Amino acid sequence: MGVLAEFLKGLAVTGKTMIRTIFGDGLVTTQYPKEKRQKPQRFHGRHVLNRYPDGMEKCIGCELCAGVCPAKCIYVRGEDNDPDNPTSPGERYGYVYEINMLRCIFCGLCVEACPTEAITMTTLFEFSTTSRNDAIYTRETLLMDEKGNVPHMFPEDPLIEPKELLTADGWVRATAPAGMAAYEGVQMWQRTAGPADWSPEPSQDEIDATTGKSEDGDG
Amino acid sequence: MTSGQPEFVTITIDGREHQVLSGEMLITAAEDSGTYIPRFCWHPRMTPVGMCRVCIVEVDTGRGPALIPACMNPVSDGMVVATQSDVTKKAQEAVLEFLLANHPLDCPVCDKGGECPLQDQALSHGPGESRFVEIKRNYEKPIPISDLVLLDRERCILCDRCTRFSREISGDPLIEFFDRGNKTQVNTFPDHPFASYFSGNTVQLCPVGALTAGPYRFRARPWDLLKVVSSSLFDTAHPRIEVHASQNEIVRYTGVDNDATNHGWLSDKARFGFEYIHSEDRLGAPLVRRKGVYEATDWAEAIDVAADRLGLIRDESGGDALAVIGGAHGTNEDAYALSKFARVALGTNNVDCRLGDSLSSHFLAGTVDRATIGQLDDADTILVWGPDLKEEHPTLYLRVRRAAQELGAELVVVHPRATGLDDVAFRKLTYRPGEGFDLVQALDDGRYPDVIEALDADNVVALIGIASHADGPHVAEAVAALVRARRGRSDLLPLNSRANTYGALDMGLAPDLLPGRVGVSQEGVGRLRDHWGEVPSVPGRDTAGILEGLISGEIRGLLLVGADPVRDFPIPALAEEALEAAEWVVAIDLFITDSTRHAEVILPAETFTEKEGTVTNVEGRVQKLNNIRPGPGQTRPDWAMLDDLAHRIGAPLGLSSAEAISKEISTVAPAYVGVSWDLLEWEARDGVVVPLEGESQLAHIPVAVATDGKRENGLSLHVARTMYDDGVRLRHSPSLSRLALGPVVLVNPLDATALDAVPGDSLRLVTVSGEGRFEMVVDEGTPAGTVYVPFNQPGATALGIDSAVEAEVADA
Repeated sequence: MGVLAEFLKGLAVTGKTMIRTIFGDGLVTTQYPKEKRQKPQRFHGRHVLNRYPDGMEKCIGCELCAGVCPAKCIYVRGEDNDPDNPTSPGERYGYVYEINMLRCIFCGLCVEACPTEAITMTTLFEFSTTSRNDAIYTRETLLMDEKGNVPHMFPEDPLIEPKELLTADGWVRATAPAGMAAYEGVQMWQRTAGPADWSPEPSQDEIDATTGKSEDGDG
Repeated sequence: MTSGQPEFVTITIDGREHQVLSGEMLITAAEDSGTYIPRFCWHPRMTPVGMCRVCIVEVDTGRGPALIPACMNPVSDGMVVATQSDVTKKAQEAVLEFLLANHPLDCPVCDKGGECPLQDQALSHGPGESRFVEIKRNYEKPIPISDLVLLDRERCILCDRCTRFSREISGDPLIEFFDRGNKTQVNTFPDHPFASYFSGNTVQLCPVGALTAGPYRFRARPWDLLKVVSSSLFDTAHPRIEVHASQNEIVRYTGVDNDATNHGWLSDKARFGFEYIHSEDRLGAPLVRRKGVYEATDWAEAIDVAADRLGLIRDESGGDALAVIGGAHGTNEDAYALSKFARVALGTNNVDCRLGDSLSSHFLAGTVDRATIGQLDDADTILVWGPDLKEEHPTLYLRVRRAAQELGAELVVVHPRATGLDDVAFRKLTYRPGEGFDLVQALDDGRYPDVIEALDADNVVALIGIASHADGPHVAEAVAALVRARRGRSDLLPLNSRANTYGALDMGLAPDLLPGRVGVSQEGVGRLRDHWGEVPSVPGRDTAGILEGLISGEIRGLLLVGADPVRDFPIPALAEEALEAAEWVVAIDLFITDSTRHAEVILPAETFTEKEGTVTNVEGRVQKLNNIRPGPGQTRPDWAMLDDLAHRIGAPLGLSSAEAISKEISTVAPAYVGVSWDLLEWEARDGVVVPLEGESQLAHIPVAVATDGKRENGLSLHVARTMYDDGVRLRHSPSLSRLALGPVVLVNPLDATALDAVPGDSLRLVTVSGEGRFEMVVDEGTPAGTVYVPFNQPGATALGIDSAVEAEVADA
């Protein structure tokens, strides 16, 4: 008697969950690749090289990203800007910019090291290739065009969601002010690729109040 | 400098007592005791000026603590120093905050970023946060102040290092402070670029990124660089350098502070001479001429083609029909391999690393009383009778300049025209080129008593070389005899161009020398018999003799090793004719040159950054070179090609590696006994001066003073080398090749008037060996009666060695 009751009690949990996930709102399985799940805001995906609103490149070829990269997957060479027709503000621009995506561990240190917010990460993660050479992303692939559109290496690929290239996680200067309370409410990272939206980031309390839950909660 | 026993005083630094040398500056005393005091303006090789104030520390000398700059105050007994006290820290932080007030924070685009003393010391000694929110000083971003150096005045912190260097060390005060107060800036004088041969040193000295080098600009970041210590082969003193490479590409050299030779300084040629290594014209595969066209081939075939004909000539006409020219630009190991190849495989003593413009081999290699560079510091009198040191021996120039200017040596300079050392010379004598003997005679006769008195000092160092192509090697020997005959102790430093001539001669690359400064004789050959077998024991021909032999057909085959006689021999037409007439020429070189284009087979060589080995400098100091990158394509070290060639000829040399060759040298060459790579890599990183055995067989034969006849009328032609010329390596280094003077003739204003010529006119010069048109430059430094034509300039015709010259204004 007692044993059967306990057995049915346990099975009821299983049944309830099964019914909720089939007919209710608790469905956890998404039909990838047909369906895409909402990614966490600070997801570390494919890199992009950004431009300023006036079309100038943000990258100045300083190689700090290459220097900080723990996987040594970034290769940068700088070159003099043509003073009459500069590629980037200042004296130098990134003439060669390559990331070997096979080596990249998506740690985001390059984004953090970048002094000009030139490199940021999008939420795109589908970029498997059939050739090692294709896994080396060059300046042409990484750099957005002057309208802010980011090229994709495999635009025909049904797996990709091009919009994901426009959501960026540039958590620039995340550690710079040493996490001081005085910086709360100051925008410290950019949500979109390209020129950043520098309106202040709401504090955690405000976010919780508007959405009813923590933004970073899902994962 | 104080002599005798060093005196010590006791000072207290941060609560710990230290014994330090009396008279030392506090900043060095503290550093030697293990306490680092920050600094920008202070430099161990220059006088302290106390410009930057960051070395300010709290010091109590018994009158209560006070803030004093550590670089300006010598230690005294009982000094109590607090480098970590709150007062010191506050003062240093304030100084750094002030320095950063106007310093732009463009570190990510600054070439100094990553190796910048201002970055480092702002982190270690700075306040961390800046209160400065105002607008910084603004200047035009980098302005080129010379062909090689760029100046960014925004970044300058006014430390006076570059300006002090130009004033005190190099003697070209072309860069100075301008304006006052907040607008103080470093700049060049209007219309005078920073055209110093030593301008690159200011880039290395600059503690911020205010001075940057054009050839290095944006090529790499400091953390990319692979570094290895080596010696420069653009200077006979072999200044120590650090070779910096990024992605297998050499991006710069920096000077290494080295008491023995260069004190950390480099000439611009030694500092920026790396572009040729990556030149697109460099040979990457062996070339064999077929139907008049070079075809790239593989090593096996190239060696076969080259060696078969050399072997055939040797079998048909004997070793005397073969000759070797070159070898002065490589390592000692390669020179030894070449020397052994010539003697053992070719069976000839027709081998010469000099190109007809040199002192005699016995004088160069066999001077028993050879001075060291360090002896210049203790000399009472320094005699420079030879080339303009500033043009040809920049490291020696800086050392002689320091000795004369700072250390009180009396300097006597003898040269046919103005030299870079004239302003610090106690006496300067000029003579007409070709009349050197007459001046020696005049000195001997007591015409210049002050010079003779100076030469009678206790301690004389004489730097003797060939001042002008018109002077033969015997003038130098007459000068040597004159100096040796004086009262005091005299040491000689025979000067010669081409960086490793001394090492090559020590390895026997002269018709009358064998390895280890041994003459070609029955006895010398006998000593080598165990190692080399039977080799010819009669001296061979020198370069001029070889070229004549090629023309007459007595010599049929020639091996050229890194030599370009068509451009470099004083009478190029003779070299051209000889190579044209040669039956079989094999060349080992980096490039196809005017000389190697006569070769049937060209074997691609490696530069000094691509192979290991040792080199011997002007004072006999052996230093180790280290490789940092692989050579392009199929290049190989010289010794390996020579070993293969010898194998094919049928006389194997038994060479297996550069290090094995160095071991063989130390057993075969008497002067090199005990000089091993281990020694040079560990105990003696600055190198060792190889001792000269006291054997007299190389002592040179004094030459009777003779003159080639004084000419009362007419102009005398002075031909000498300049720092930048049309040499093979410079021609392929774009940053330096554009600095060559071009086809110019320097003429005294009086002569210009007499010729009825104005600056910019084209002058036609005619000598017995050639004629050419040169652009006239009026020059006060050239005495009346002498016209000066820099040797081997791009676009210039060579005029030979005879000093008689006819000049006239050429028709437009």
